[in-house]
Amino acid sequence: MAGRLFARRRDGRIEVRLNDAGRSAVREVFVHVVAAERSDDHEWHVALQTPINPSSDDDDPLSTLARQNEIATNAELAIMTVSEQYLNDAEAWAWLSTLQVALRSTAVANGILSDERLESCPPEVLADIRTIQQFLFDLAACL
Amino acid sequence: MSLVPPLRLASTDSKVQSDVSVITERPWNVVVWNDPVTPMTVVVVVFRKIFGYSNNKCTHLMLTVHHEGRATVWSGQRERAESYCVKLQVAGLQATVEQDT
Repeated sequence: MAGRLFARRRDGRIEVRLNDAGRSAVREVFVHVVAAERSDDHEWHVALQTPINPSSDDDDPLSTLARQNEIATNAELAIMTVSEQYLNDAEAWAWLSTLQVALRSTAVANGILSDERLESCPPEVLADIRTIQQFLFDLAACL
Repeated sequence: MSLVPPLRLASTDSKVQSDVSVITERPWNVVVWNDPVTPMTVVVVVFRKIFGYSNNKCTHLMLTVHHEGRATVWSGQRERAESYCVKLQVAGLQATVEQDT
């Protein structure tokens, strides 16, 4: 278990073992998700507007509004708890969802839609993706 | 004074429909699509959280997505399918709904 970024404790809480650099990295990711949800100009915005029912010209506005609210709520809860040493399950779920939204948005924004594109993407983009994946691997192992 | 036609039916027997046929709609499928970046463990956790499926079923569905490019993870009424699809998208997975063929 040594080296894990998150660990489930016996009392049920999830311990966050990130150092300052790690917390700074996840905070930046969370802030980007909130910004992308609120701004049409953000490079991740398009990735957050994927169709629900592609056979229909327009999705149900209530469904798209629900998606927008839930993504923003998760990201805001993640930002509020980014300095906490322990997370409960709801907070950990908000972290996981927001990190995963950020991961997919990074991929979509950089046109990474296949394994080949992933391996040939710029090193800095690949580094960002690998970092978020590492957070997700360790957090998912606790849930 | 003009004659007013009777307003009340003499009998309701002819208005009672005996046809009780039920029209069934084709179900709506929630489809999850493969992508090159999402960790497999995350997909399993998300399926378990949203649908409450067993670990085995979640793993089986995740592997179907991985190997076949897509998997139908739930089928049923349209409104519920869209609701599940939104939950999956909120969790960062690529999901859509489509009507069963």
